[in-house]
Amino acid sequence: MAKTVEILQGTLDLLILRTLELRPLHGVAIADRIEQVTKGTFVVGPGSLFPALHRLAEKGWIEGQWGEQETGRRAKCYSMTRSGRMQLAKEQRNWERILTAMNQVLTQEG
Amino acid sequence: MAWASRWTSLCRNLLRRERVNADLDEEVASYFATLVERRQAQGLPVEEARRAVRLEFGSGQQVKETVRDVRMGATFDTTFQDVRYALRSLRKSPAFALTAILSLALAIGANTAIYSIVDAALLRPLPVAEPDRLFALSTLQIQIPGQDRPAQDYSFSYPLYQQFRAAAGDSARLGLFSNGNLTDIQIPNRGAPMEKAVCGFISGDAFDILHVQPVLGRVFTTAEDRVPWGHPYAVISYDYWQRRFQGDRGVLGRHIQYGRHNLTIVGVARKGFFGVEPGKFVDIWIPAMMYSKAALTDSGWGWFRILGRLSTGATRAAVRARLAPVFDAYEQELVRRFPMTPEPMQKQYRERPLLIHAAATGASNFQVDFGRPLWIVLGVGAGILLIACANIASLLLARSSVRSAEMAMRISLGASRARLIRQLLTESLTASAIAGVLGWALAQAAAPVLVAMLSDRANPVRFALSMDTRVLLFCAAVSAAAAAIFGVLPAWQASAAKPLRELHGLRTEARKLRLGRAFVGVQVAFAFLLIVGGASFLFSLRNLLAVDTGFNPHNVVVINVSTQLNDITQKPELNVFLDELQRRVEGRPGIQGAAVGHAGGLFEGSHTSMEVIVPGRPRPDRQEYTMPASPRYFATMQLRLLAGREFEQRDRDYQYSGPPARIVNDAPAEKYFGNEDPAMGPRPVIVNQAFVQKYYGDENPLGKVFVTTNGGRREIIGVVGNAPYGSLREGPQPIVYFVVRGTNFVALYIRTKMDTGSVVRLVERETEAMGHNTRIRGGTTLDTLIGNTLLREKLLAGIGGTFALLGLMLAAIGLFGLLNYSVTRRRKEIGIRAALGARASSLVLLVLRDLAWLIAGGLAAGLGCSLVLMSVVRSLLFGVGAVDPAVLITAAAVFFAATLIAGGLPAGRAAAIDPMVALREE
Repeated sequence: MAKTVEILQGTLDLLILRTLELRPLHGVAIADRIEQVTKGTFVVGPGSLFPALHRLAEKGWIEGQWGEQETGRRAKCYSMTRSGRMQLAKEQRNWERILTAMNQVLTQEG
Repeated sequence: MAWASRWTSLCRNLLRRERVNADLDEEVASYFATLVERRQAQGLPVEEARRAVRLEFGSGQQVKETVRDVRMGATFDTTFQDVRYALRSLRKSPAFALTAILSLALAIGANTAIYSIVDAALLRPLPVAEPDRLFALSTLQIQIPGQDRPAQDYSFSYPLYQQFRAAAGDSARLGLFSNGNLTDIQIPNRGAPMEKAVCGFISGDAFDILHVQPVLGRVFTTAEDRVPWGHPYAVISYDYWQRRFQGDRGVLGRHIQYGRHNLTIVGVARKGFFGVEPGKFVDIWIPAMMYSKAALTDSGWGWFRILGRLSTGATRAAVRARLAPVFDAYEQELVRRFPMTPEPMQKQYRERPLLIHAAATGASNFQVDFGRPLWIVLGVGAGILLIACANIASLLLARSSVRSAEMAMRISLGASRARLIRQLLTESLTASAIAGVLGWALAQAAAPVLVAMLSDRANPVRFALSMDTRVLLFCAAVSAAAAAIFGVLPAWQASAAKPLRELHGLRTEARKLRLGRAFVGVQVAFAFLLIVGGASFLFSLRNLLAVDTGFNPHNVVVINVSTQLNDITQKPELNVFLDELQRRVEGRPGIQGAAVGHAGGLFEGSHTSMEVIVPGRPRPDRQEYTMPASPRYFATMQLRLLAGREFEQRDRDYQYSGPPARIVNDAPAEKYFGNEDPAMGPRPVIVNQAFVQKYYGDENPLGKVFVTTNGGRREIIGVVGNAPYGSLREGPQPIVYFVVRGTNFVALYIRTKMDTGSVVRLVERETEAMGHNTRIRGGTTLDTLIGNTLLREKLLAGIGGTFALLGLMLAAIGLFGLLNYSVTRRRKEIGIRAALGARASSLVLLVLRDLAWLIAGGLAAGLGCSLVLMSVVRSLLFGVGAVDPAVLITAAAVFFAATLIAGGLPAGRAAAIDPMVALREE
């Protein structure tokens, strides 16, 4: 598989929030989706995913609920909360500003 | 909103820990199971799948750890874990735990006990409203060369007080407070048995100035300041109300007989108020107007302190600016009225300034007398604490070699150094917290004992020793500081364990041992310092006790007799009465001698003095002590009569033939001499050797006449040996003895082997038989009175000495521990040497030589520090210099004895090592 890139803690939070924006997912599915959408650039292992999920849950931006999967196994399903949506919007704006600034610096001539 | 959610999470994490962990377990398990299933779907068998997942993502355990580390309440969790671990490890090594915690508890307890006294006496503000606005007035004490006098003079006279009040105006309110005294009273009147209570005189507005409300009845007001002897009322303290009257609400209107006054109780002060003197609990407050009438108009009679409260907006400087001119004018006037006062003293009177200082903590003699010694004892306590900490630190270091394997494992499992240090520090804090609690309990028990050591029957010392928040904070701070001191270095050491070296059995011994030695060196230095201090104080006390008093103070009972008689008021009759009393008491079986003097004289703090002008000699620079003595006084006291004779009956009669020659002024000395009659010859006096040496040199003084204030003449009829006047520290002072005459308060000095109680009863019987309503004001012995002047030295020697021994013990334990460890570590080496034929003595030397340099170094450091410290406390010593060979030799001897004992056992072990056993330990 492609070489994974180190993800900063803050960006992982943003990724998870975005992933959960559309619909609730359980743990494994979140990791799968991130890997899928970034075409393998970001592979999130449980060692990073779990702390991030719990941190976000403690801040009240996502909430987890036990539910049953199709396979019959119990798994915790995470969904976004209202404050989470607000946080996501804020983070996205922030990220765009960073992107613009980085671009300006990196493409500057002479 | 985030923080609200965080808060809920925190609570849930802490309180529902089981649930939360179980939840996490299940979640992680489910996740991993899904991952494994996927691998299986790709064709791997179960075991392979599991291993692949673990290789790629780590173990479920690790994941759970990372979650736990970032959770809310993670810090608390780990701390809690650490504490439990610490308790467990303490339980596992009970010997170490016991030694460490006990020695620490002793040190913490000692410090807390002393601090609670220091706090109650010196630091805690009076329990009144806005204590910061209180101030006290004082001036410089007139210093007389050769005499041992305090630096400040707090007493003022009533006329001056009235002038101050007028001058202060609205900038401050000034109150009058006499020092509380243990007095004989009767409840409810003369017929009742005598009891003792601490009584103090105060101005009418004193309660108002202090904002003290009554809990029953009323307190004094300015109405009580009007008529001398016109306000026979009393306010009692809450404590006295409970103690003596059992809180009876009917106490108002009851009577107390104080001297000739029958006082009515009009109120009870609120709970917790004990007066303005820390160290004394006043039981009964009496209006100042009820004091001696003469004192209210005598500008030379200082008998109370002035404490005041600043009005809003006023400053102490402003108040002083108003009062200082009044004071200066007053002193000038005083000097003008007594032109015979020696010139150096006149200068002091004229020049001494009025001082004003904050009195939030009250003002008492105790603070002046015991302030510095208490701080010194607290310093000693700090020294002991440091020794105990060094002790524990070296023990910890020794133990860390045992725990290095454990540390290495934790490091290899991924623990950071910071985490390890945190855990080890938590262990130290846990141990010291336990010690702190024990020390607190110890302090509660010890503080009252220490206070009892400071008090005596005549001057009971009482403190509101509430072990309150401040003392608790002090105890906690000391415990925490101790943990930091002894915990940091060993924790740093232990966390530096290298896993690889541990695996190979290599030990980083050398460095640990070096540090351990450094700690022992510190202990040695401090212990030596403490021993030197303790020895100095003990020597001082011994020197004071050994001062030649010139007479025999043992077996002398002192009884104060009050002759405020109803029917005898004339001096001649009083004289007859006293003669009769002396004669009767002398004649009783078991009494070897009796004499009469003035109450409060010998060793009780008050003194009288007079001018001495010898014809042909230059004017003297000071006044000389005077003392009243009856016939046979010197025989009773066993003071050597060197020349001439004792007083006789006829010597007194000089005063009473003929009318008064002139009006005398009211100088205090003149009070006792009355009127001079120039028609009579000079009055007889007896002087002591020091007097003769100062004024007559080698001449024979008998028959010589000298002149005193206002031209009165005195003829020397006898010379006696030197004896101290009020203080053993002073050295021989010139004293002039004159014939005692009837005054209202006399002291009976009775030489007898009987106990005080029997003697008191005997005297009571005699005075009853004589009639005249005489009152005995309790009895004590001269030994007790002398002992009272030594209270400060006893405190320093007693507590200081005990603490010094404690410190030495702790240091010896530390030394023992290190030596023991050293022997254990070198068993192999010693075994080999023994096998090779080394003698036991050389083995012992081998072990001891190791530490000999260390001890020498510590001693040198301790010696250096002690030289510095001794010069700081020099004023508290007596007969002991800052660098005193006797003290140093004694200290060194004690120290070496302790070292020998401490080193004896390990050295014995070293000598007894069986080579076979030692070598086999490989």
